[in-house]
Order: sequence, then C-alpha cells, then structure tokens
Amino acid sequence: MIARVLEAAGLPTTSISLVREHTAQVQPPRALFVPFPFGHPFGRPNDPDLQHRVLGAALDLFAERGCPVLRDFPDEAAAAGPAAPLQASQVETAPAAEDAAAETTRLRRYHEQWLQREGHTAVGLTRIPPQRFRGVIRFLEAVAAGDEADMRERPEGVPLPLFIRYCADDLKAMYFEARLLQQPQTTGEAFARWFWGETATGQLIRRVKERLDVSEDPAMKAIAYGIAR
Amino acid sequence: MPRLDCLSQIARNTILALPVQVNETSPCTPPAKPLAQSRIAIVTTIGIHLRDARPFGPGDPSFRVIPSTATQADVLQSHQSIGFDRTATQQDWNVVFPIDRLRELVQRGELGGLAPNCYSFMGAQRDVSRIVSETAPEVARRLREDGADAVLLTPT
Repeated sequence: MIARVLEAAGLPTTSISLVREHTAQVQPPRALFVPFPFGHPFGRPNDPDLQHRVLGAALDLFAERGCPVLRDFPDEAAAAGPAAPLQASQVETAPAAEDAAAETTRLRRYHEQWLQREGHTAVGLTRIPPQRFRGVIRFLEAVAAGDEADMRERPEGVPLPLFIRYCADDLKAMYFEARLLQQPQTTGEAFARWFWGETATGQLIRRVKERLDVSEDPAMKAIAYGIAR
Repeated sequence: MPRLDCLSQIARNTILALPVQVNETSPCTPPAKPLAQSRIAIVTTIGIHLRDARPFGPGDPSFRVIPSTATQADVLQSHQSIGFDRTATQQDWNVVFPIDRLRELVQRGELGGLAPNCYSFMGAQRDVSRIVSETAPEVARRLREDGADAVLLTPT
C-alpha cells in the first residue's frame, strides 16, 4: 500500500509479500511472495546466501514490463519453524529457580559478553541501562501487585502504560541476547518456551499482563495485549 | 508470512480480517535506468528507528529516517505488534532490512548505490488512512529529493 503511494509519485518500487491473499487484493506494483514466517521476509538471520537469493528475486521484478507483478519465491528454500511466534499463553510454567531480580542480575553478565562480542543490542527502549534493571524488576513487581508505581527514570513524554511495555520489551530483549550467547543454536520458539515457561521474569511479565487486563484504564488494558499473549 | 494454511485457525482469521484495500489496477513507474546505475532506498514497516529517536507508539502513522550509513548498533525496534518473532531481527537485521546485502551488491557493481536515507514505518495497523494520505506521500517527496531511483519495501 505504501508501495502504491511511492510508485504513483514517480518512484519504481519492489516489495516482499508475506500474505499472498492481501497482496493479491492490494496489488502493489511489484511484489515477491515469500513462504517464510512473520519476522523473516529475507529468509533466515546470518544466512547471506539465502538473503541474496530473495533480494535478487525481488530486484529482478524491475525487469518485468508493466504492473502489477506478483511472483513466488520457490518453496524449497522455505525456512523451517513455526509460522507465527509461540505466545506466553501457549507455554506451561514451571517454578523458577530464583527470583526475578537475582535472575536478571545473573543474566546481565552474559548480556555484557554478548554486547562486547556483537557490538549491538535491541535493549534500549526504556533508556535505562541494564545495570539498573533490578529497579525495573521492582517496578514491574509493584505494577503486578496493583500498587501505584512509577519510575524516576521514565523518559519524558512516555506515558506510563507505554513505559511498562518498553520495560517488558527491554527485559525480553536482554534475556534473548544472554540466552543466545549461552545457546547459539537457540530458535525463537525454544527461547519463547524457556522465557515464558521457566524464567522468573517471564512469569512476572505474565502477572503484569494479568493485572493490566483488569485495569479500568483503557490505555493500560490496551498495553496488556502487547506485553504477553 | 507463511502461507495462511501454516497458521492456526485463529491467526488465519485475524490476518484475513485485517482491513485491506482492494484495487483493480496498480500505478506503474518503469525504472528509468538499469539497476547497475540506480540508487536504491529501503522503505520498511518493521518499526525501527535510530536509538535516540522517538519510539513508535500504538497506531502511530509517522515514519523515521534511517541514514544509509547506519549499522545495526545504531537502531532499535519498537514495533507494537507481538504477532511476529523478533528474535531473527535481533540476531541479524538483514533478515528484515537487508542493507548490508545491498551494500554488497553495490560493491559488486550490480547496483549503482544507496540513496542517502532509508525510511521506516510501523506496519500491521488497523487504520492506515493517515499513512496513505499524509506520511507516505511525505516519504515519497523526501525520496525524490534524496535522488532515489528505486525503492525496496520490506515488511515484518
């Protein structure tokens, strides 16, 4: 749909389609349908050969005459794995071995190693450094308990419900990077099972979601849906 | 996304119920130059932004500018949907934003170059009217000012 706006403004476009049914209705000018899961339009992370094949097929559409063009990327290269991410509600929990604050502190050491090795991190939405994440845990525990809670470090202009979302996102991002350092072959699905099922922080975030679900504040209820499902 | 038959019934119905334009034809601007002489930009709906830029919020129709010199260390992803697995992006942003792959094509002489800026929206929204009427046309204007010859669009 954005493609149509750009094309009408005089910019040739090509795009990746993840939902063939939608693409067939919207009719972007040039689209390559790929059979990969959400979050994987170019196939697989750290697989430049596959990414180049997908990219090449998308760019090849510029050579075709006329619009709309819809082509299919061959299935043989389709990535294995579930079509959509495993949600918290699909994972059974087991009692966590330690409390969330201790667990976060322990995992933060692995996260520091990740940062040194990779040079990038998805942590940062809260603008709170991981060294201060024990405070984030305490804040979320207060939210889960139904107390009036806030953090001094909440960035200006970020409303409290959205800040709660960013706290959950930053913790989850840190846990994933720490986990990936320990288990380089881990998949998104394996991580979801571990995070939602076995970690104290995953279980804390689920309790936050349950608390927000019954809030009378519509903004809090809306955030609940995006924190854990 | 996968074929819809790979999803659960609930997920499939949710996707199919999203409001989608139904169009009969498509606008068409044929490329004016071969790719080897073209400057390309990425426009993505993966909801990324520079680390000190304002994150996307719920229902946010705005866009963010990502300079084409950016590395993965420079960006965060604040997409509001949890309907897609972000762990792949965390490992390697090229799986959603293949800018390193485009740089390689430029080095090989298969692409003329990268336009100076890429642009990110947040996708999977129920109401796309402001994107269609305001922010996407603004991005089109900027891309033309940037001298982009072609655009690659990437979804989550």
